Amino acid sequence: MLLDVLRAEIGKGLRVQLAHPVGHVITLLISTMMYLGLQFVLGQGELRQDLLPRTLVAIGGYWFLQYAALVMVADLIEEKRAGTFAQAQMTPAPPWLPMLGRLITASVFGLAVAAVAALVPMLVAGIAIPLRWAALLPAVLLGVNVLAFTFLLAAVALVAPAIGALQSLLTSLVLLLNGSFLPLALYPDWLAALARILPTTLGVEAITQTLFEGRTLGELWRGGTLPWLLAHTLALIAAAGLLFVRNHRRSLEELS
Amino acid sequence: MIEIDALTKVYGQAQAPAVDEVSLRVPAGSVFGFLGPNGAGKTTTIKMLAGLLTPTSGEVRLGGFDVARQRPAAMAQFGAVLEGSRNVYWSLSAWQNLMYFGRLKGLRKARVAERARDLLTGLGLWDRRDDKVGGFSRGMQQKVAIAAALIADPPIVLLDEPTLGLDVEATRTVKNWITEQSRELGTTVLLTTHQLDVAQELCDRVAVMRRGRLVADLPTRELLAGFRERDRYEIRVEGTVPPGFEAVTREGVTTISVRVSDPGEVYEVVARLRAHGAVLESLTQVQPDLEDVFLALVNEPSHAA
Repeated sequence: MLLDVLRAEIGKGLRVQLAHPVGHVITLLISTMMYLGLQFVLGQGELRQDLLPRTLVAIGGYWFLQYAALVMVADLIEEKRAGTFAQAQMTPAPPWLPMLGRLITASVFGLAVAAVAALVPMLVAGIAIPLRWAALLPAVLLGVNVLAFTFLLAAVALVAPAIGALQSLLTSLVLLLNGSFLPLALYPDWLAALARILPTTLGVEAITQTLFEGRTLGELWRGGTLPWLLAHTLALIAAAGLLFVRNHRRSLEELS
Repeated sequence: MIEIDALTKVYGQAQAPAVDEVSLRVPAGSVFGFLGPNGAGKTTTIKMLAGLLTPTSGEVRLGGFDVARQRPAAMAQFGAVLEGSRNVYWSLSAWQNLMYFGRLKGLRKARVAERARDLLTGLGLWDRRDDKVGGFSRGMQQKVAIAAALIADPPIVLLDEPTLGLDVEATRTVKNWITEQSRELGTTVLLTTHQLDVAQELCDRVAVMRRGRLVADLPTRELLAGFRERDRYEIRVEGTVPPGFEAVTREGVTTISVRVSDPGEVYEVVARLRAHGAVLESLTQVQPDLEDVFLALVNEPSHAA
């Protein structure tokens, strides 16, 4: 039964999103053009091949986060306003299950946008990103990190529909500081430390270290990047779970 | 069956409870009307029944399952249409909505498809099943919402203002459907409405709430009988009437309202009218409708069931 409910929620979420495909295409175009344009400006009139692969990994993480969070939070706020959120709570399934379905839907759209938006610059600017198995674990952790943060934003959105401003601020900070403009290694230490507090930064750092510096997972662990990424992700999961438990009941009370 | 025991809800720091010690029994297969002015606590009660609100105290059991302690089983007992909300997804088709809500209730895909086909056919929406609900009229959207509430074939249906904003034809369809669900399929229907004629026509039993408390809970007939004005008669005559009567004349017919302490006095009144030359057209004992009863209950300060 739980699996049926989860499938139903994911299927519904995908259909609702695909009912308005133009918005997704426009977002894709803007994302790709913005990245290439920024790199062109930062490269003082040229696309610098030494910066592009690392920044593309970072902005891929940002796109995933930004789009998954946008889909999840906007969808939730709209449903609360419309009344379908309350209907979806009258299920024999536990309340976190429909939320998990929403998160999976959001992650599908986030990943799809990130993948397609990254593919265009790779083809246009000939960016080559080497693939290494060692990057798999950091990539998975980056994904979980992003989804935990998305769930956390959604948990806040349950009781604070005006979360849009905070969401914009946080995702803008991620774009500015996670290495999407310049690799993290070029930042002053204090700024790099600040950037590592934000979601995606540690994941991007771990992936770029494995892909472009040839580091092994053991080296990442000993260097501290992997344990910090793991701790950061677990902290986000715990915070998101606690906030959801706290806010879910309150959100239903507010519907009255 | 719906069982409510001493249900109370106090919002935040509010002094007065929104629902105050309400106890009810709604027998299986009946249509139960839940009436009251705005702010009486009807919707709060419905939302506690639906598990959307946590009661401050008291218990709710749906089909024998406690909503707080046996939530999964209780949630499978009912479908609901809530007032003031869309209830269904406008960007999805009628078919997609029913498939979603059916599976959300834990039903298998094949079972939901079969049931959705029956419901959409019965509501005259089968030909429009693949159209987005957002493009439907208000009446059609409400039909989809009611179908979504019934998709899992629940033994209980909670309908909060199901005919609000519907035109005459759509209201008739919904009323017929409620009757059919209850009489033929044995579904327990709890409905709130401000349209008292709807309640009077559909409900086997009626409860009236005022300021969070129940002021009446009786079978509709008993409730109406209790308010029958045994001492008031309405007499319609043609022609003029002697002075001293409360009379209203419209299109040549005069209606007189008289109060008598003894039914035998009616004969004396009729004799006086006859002597004056008035021709008797009809004489009826005044029967109250639910609106009269409702107004009496919500306006009298100390009326209790």
